[in-house]
Amino acid sequence: MTLAARLRRLVRPLLVLLLAQAAPAHADERLVLVVAANSPITALSSKELHKLYLGLTVTVGERRVRPLRNDADALMHEVFFQSIVSMSEPVYDRRMLAQALQQGVLPPLLSSTRAVFDHLALDPDAVSFAWATDAEKDSRVRVIRLLWRR
Amino acid sequence: MIALRPLAHRLATLLLACGAAVPAWAAEPEGDHGSGHVHPATSLLFFASAEAHRFKPGTPTRDVNEDVPLAADIVLTVSRDRFRVFGEFLLSREEHDLERFQLGYEAAPDTMVWFGRFHQPASAWNLEHHHGRYVQTAVTRPATELWEDEHGILPQHLTGLLIESARTLDDEAGLRYSLGAGLGVAVGSDGLEPVDLLDLHHRGHRLSWTGRLAYVPQAVEPTQFGLIAARHTMPVIDARVAAALGADRLTQDMLGAFVDWRHEAWRVAATVYGLRTTFDGGASVRRERLLVGYLQLERQLPHGLTAFAREEDSHRARDSAYVATVSPNFETRRLSAGLRWDWLRRQALTVEHGNGVTSRGRQSDVRLLWSAVFP
Repeated sequence: MTLAARLRRLVRPLLVLLLAQAAPAHADERLVLVVAANSPITALSSKELHKLYLGLTVTVGERRVRPLRNDADALMHEVFFQSIVSMSEPVYDRRMLAQALQQGVLPPLLSSTRAVFDHLALDPDAVSFAWATDAEKDSRVRVIRLLWRR
Repeated sequence: MIALRPLAHRLATLLLACGAAVPAWAAEPEGDHGSGHVHPATSLLFFASAEAHRFKPGTPTRDVNEDVPLAADIVLTVSRDRFRVFGEFLLSREEHDLERFQLGYEAAPDTMVWFGRFHQPASAWNLEHHHGRYVQTAVTRPATELWEDEHGILPQHLTGLLIESARTLDDEAGLRYSLGAGLGVAVGSDGLEPVDLLDLHHRGHRLSWTGRLAYVPQAVEPTQFGLIAARHTMPVIDARVAAALGADRLTQDMLGAFVDWRHEAWRVAATVYGLRTTFDGGASVRRERLLVGYLQLERQLPHGLTAFAREEDSHRARDSAYVATVSPNFETRRLSAGLRWDWLRRQALTVEHGNGVTSRGRQSDVRLLWSAVFP
């Protein structure tokens, strides 16, 4: 057995162990679209969601929908780029920065699901996303639909 | 240490203080008259850049491009309900300017009315990138798009009214249009001079208007193309310049077209401007026309790399008295190419090599740029 093969044999189980440790508590969970329990928003298509997180205007009836970006953990961060805006982080970032330079307002970025729910509870026109297990535990928010599942 | 003028210092401090104070204000629940919505509505961004370069021959740097060794651009947006405040303050060894300061009102969904000093919408490049060098792929901006204090040939800053609007044509496509009118530039001994909000003096600035109409085939994609137009009335405020031009007032009419096409890893950005300058010397009136444009090709590569190349060209610019006066070192032709590496989140290193032709001869440059945005 070559040295490289020996190293691979040694390192592979360690990597598997590390990845298992690094996997978030929500690894087998579903990411869902959430609004305040009293929100008039009942549905949003993937296209509308895409537009919303690109800073474009989306209205439900006469009311403008306001997006909140939940950045609570690494997996959620990854799913946002892969499944919601469908572009790489640098591309999205530059596009949104260009928009900020054009006097635009960027979707607020919140680093905890609790903060997201606190904001949603106070703003019936806001939407965000969260792990289903968290959303189901908080009576202040309502799940609109499934966005992603492992 | 940079000695800021007192008013500039006060305004810079005000911008920073707003940035610190506004999050609390924006997050406060509204009173009885509000809608009850709570939404964080502020963003404060710091664009930083550092550039190293080498010129052949040793061209004076400020004649060539925005190539100061260190620069910081502070961008603040505050939004509440339908009102918005926007400010952009540029700080470098060469300058410290309140580039933009705008008060906005959203008259209807997707329609903003702004009042203040703004970047005129008929510049295809600057409306996309403004002063944030991190946002543009190349190190340099095209010679046609240089700012007034870099001896640019197009007025870029107006002070007055700006209306921006968007309209959906169907489920996918849309139109975006902007119309700006306000005080434009004067022609002085150092080129074009816009209204300076930090040093307000009446220099005979006259009315300019500019407009832009863009067609967006798919709302969620950045591809767009359209038309731009402008009319600038520019008093000549320096006696020697007036004598050299044989005019005490210039009127510049501009009509142009632009395309910004993106498909997967490819991007093509091209713009052409047709300029007609009227020299009004009281007793005599004469005109000259010229054509300027550029095409930039970009290709994203693996590992955060982006390759780019740009060709700039012009017609009759070499013989233009207007160009010779406001931008003596204007590059009538330039070919540049380079590579950008997004090596860290919101940080990029870019290298660019360019070969240009001016009325004085050939010149070349090699530049290395670090650009970043914080936070």
